[in-house]
Amino acid sequence: MQNVAVAPSVELLEVFQTRNGSVSQSDSQKCWYVNFAGHHNRFDYRSIMKLRKAIYGIDIEALLLSSDKAPDVEIVFICACDHCYVLTLLEIIAFKELIEGTFVMLELNRILHDRVYSLIA
Amino acid sequence: MKDIIRVKCLLSTEVERLLNQQIKKEAQSSSAYLAMASWCNQHGYDFSSDYFFKQSDEERQHQLKIYKYVLDMGGTAISPEVSNIKIEYNSFREVFEEALDQEISVTQSLKNIAANCHKEQDYITVEFLNWFFKEQREEEYKARRALELFDVIGEEGTGRWQIDKHVGGIVYDSEA
Repeated sequence: MQNVAVAPSVELLEVFQTRNGSVSQSDSQKCWYVNFAGHHNRFDYRSIMKLRKAIYGIDIEALLLSSDKAPDVEIVFICACDHCYVLTLLEIIAFKELIEGTFVMLELNRILHDRVYSLIA
Repeated sequence: MKDIIRVKCLLSTEVERLLNQQIKKEAQSSSAYLAMASWCNQHGYDFSSDYFFKQSDEERQHQLKIYKYVLDMGGTAISPEVSNIKIEYNSFREVFEEALDQEISVTQSLKNIAANCHKEQDYITVEFLNWFFKEQREEEYKARRALELFDVIGEEGTGRWQIDKHVGGIVYDSEA
């Protein structure tokens, strides 16, 4: 998996962070940088939506209850995107928390734009 | 912080989810009407069979209308999976009872989306949904009228044959 180096000139605004990772937004590049499990990856609008769908789609309860002898890892592959995560069960839970928080913050930002900034402008 | 998502997509996550749910509902309706058309055809009710074929086409058009709207707004339209379609009915009347129930359920579902849109001040989607509300007026009217034929004509003797013949003639021509 590729790790993306952010150009020094790119200004990043933190969207959300937990003890396990963080998500930042670049206004100029119109994308997000997801820092999780030792990887720093760049996601545009379409791919972050795919990431969210992939993470939300993992049935954590089923994985917990599964008595298979297979290792408790999940491969999160995002179609038409360079990134691929191999996550343990605990990492999935942590990643889901990070993504959920990120989208709550993005939604909050949207509400602020809707109700405050656009009315002042 | 810029609202990048808003630039890319006019729909909120919740409205997009509800519209995709509605796409699925319309697809289910279209398939259910096909099943009704099949049942009627097998039992010799030709006019009713044609009526349900037309209804099935209409539901498919509704599905595509919402599907294209979601895409036009920058959202992700999800091609729906259709399952659990009832293909057997106990009686001719039951087919029309199910058809009316289905239309009522579609109307309720549309109302729920509109309520959410009002809450979020998504007036663009509200305006889009207005066409569907007008359509539901017609759909429910036709389904109700068809069912009323069973009480007006009665099923005894050649009643069912008469009902079938009149089903083909149900039209909604209100200009309001």
